Amino acid sequence: MPYKMAVILDKARLERIKGTQLEKLVKDLYGGYLKVIELEVPDDIAQRILKEFPRARIDARGFIEETPVVFKRELFEVIAQLKSVGREVFEELLKPERLSKIKEYAAKEEEYLPPPELPEEKK
Amino acid sequence: MSLKVYMPPPHGGKLVDAVIRDKDKAVSMAAGAVPYDIRATRDPVSGMPIRNVYREIMSIAYGFFSPLDRFMTRNEVESVLKERRLLDGWLFPFPIIFDIAEDDLRKLGVKEGDRLLLRLKGEPFAVLDIEEIWRFDPKDIADRTFGTPEKNGEVVKRRFDEKHPGWLIYRSMTGTAIAGKVFVINEPVFKDPYNRFWYPPAKSREEIQRRGWRTVIAHQTRNVPHTGHEHLMKNAAYLGDIEPAHGILVNAIIGAKRLGDFVDEAILEGHEAINKYGYISPRRHMVTMTLWDMRYGNPLESLLHGIIRQNMGCTHHMFGRDHAAVGDYYDPYATQILWERGLPSYGLNAPPYDLDKGLKIRPVNIKEFWYCPKCGEIAYSDTCGHADIAQRFSGSFIRGLIAEGIEPPPIIFRPEVYRVIVKWWRVYGYPFVNKKYLELKERELEVDVPKLEVPVKR
Repeated sequence: MPYKMAVILDKARLERIKGTQLEKLVKDLYGGYLKVIELEVPDDIAQRILKEFPRARIDARGFIEETPVVFKRELFEVIAQLKSVGREVFEELLKPERLSKIKEYAAKEEEYLPPPELPEEKK
Repeated sequence: MSLKVYMPPPHGGKLVDAVIRDKDKAVSMAAGAVPYDIRATRDPVSGMPIRNVYREIMSIAYGFFSPLDRFMTRNEVESVLKERRLLDGWLFPFPIIFDIAEDDLRKLGVKEGDRLLLRLKGEPFAVLDIEEIWRFDPKDIADRTFGTPEKNGEVVKRRFDEKHPGWLIYRSMTGTAIAGKVFVINEPVFKDPYNRFWYPPAKSREEIQRRGWRTVIAHQTRNVPHTGHEHLMKNAAYLGDIEPAHGILVNAIIGAKRLGDFVDEAILEGHEAINKYGYISPRRHMVTMTLWDMRYGNPLESLLHGIIRQNMGCTHHMFGRDHAAVGDYYDPYATQILWERGLPSYGLNAPPYDLDKGLKIRPVNIKEFWYCPKCGEIAYSDTCGHADIAQRFSGSFIRGLIAEGIEPPPIIFRPEVYRVIVKWWRVYGYPFVNKKYLELKERELEVDVPKLEVPVKR
């Protein structure tokens, strides 16, 4: 069974894919409160992701979750760049040079992540 | 016959109270005992703390594990592994073992009949009366504690290994055990915010009575609640007797954490936010904690949860899918199988409430809540007819959102709960448990231990 991954689309990401064929793939989640693009992850790729990022796991929905934040960010970048959600996205993402950069950032990320500013604090 | 349900007696008939509150008595009990500083059990590969026996001592002494009042002897462990019963016959799922390094034992020079003074954070904390010193094979105990696919095929799907945190705890024990009764002689003081959630069984029972609750349903947690959890609690609470349950008692298990978990402080305050902001009225909801380094034993852990919450005075216990599970070692409904028909291969030929010297708490086996886009609402998986399009709740997905700095939408996560997470994120510089938090937590623990002068044997 192929696993899945979802990339959350905030306003900025939605803007980036506006007018492209990717826009048609945007899915509503939880009554439209969230917009996502879902990707199928072939089994060999899924196993590789789980191996490269030991904390990544398959959740009850069959999605690969708990990958580093930087991995998800890069995933969106590649999707936007290739305008695709196919296997080639992961092949690009897991190229040795790109992967080692992701891992380098991921290690720092596990030490510290900047807390968000809450909406009421922005006012 | 009345249909009304009342608070069940403690498991075994009487709550254990092994806390010495009289200071003079405490000092005299400890005087002359050989001192030993409690050490955490560590993952042999990463060196990270995976268990601190102080939490088991507290749980025994305050009666959470009643009728268990000691660390187990070899015979008791064998009885638990064979039939999941203590030597006096009462059901109990896990071996509770005080292990010590062989070297430490040699240096201490103690023998059966001696008393050991256990120190925590450098201060006298408890005494252990040595009834037996025995040796075991940690891997064998680990395998037999959780079961194997060959022997326990009705629920065990694959062999346990180092990736299973509970198996790893037993596997990482030293192989030398001290059995005997344990007494807390110097009550630790809980830090904020743990202090306000500390309701040991006697206090919890009093509080339930004070609130006028007759039926109370327990909710097990080790997570910050999303709205799926909230619906589970709200809906399970409709199962009382002649009316919906009067109270929902959330009991968070506080102990060793895994990387990526929510921090304990956020779990407790996150659940508190649910009632503080009225998502479930505080009249019907209270948040408490138990100290225990989770074994993730799914059906067996549910048995311990039943014991703890019966001792705390609950009449009912909800059990969902994958109760106290990690990975795919057990059938996702293993707990419900136990509470529906028993697990013969573990010596449990009937559900825990139908066994002699079994439990009196009533199970509520419940499946899951999901968001159904067709119904346009959060629906129960067993009554919603749109399983093919249902959008399940996923704690992992929500953690991913949070890590990306995106506030989860209110339909799946309450904003007030998110604010609690951000509050602790600011304290620790990270929204979840990381290595730094693990080390800090082991050093600081949940408690401070007051000074107590005790004349000790050098």
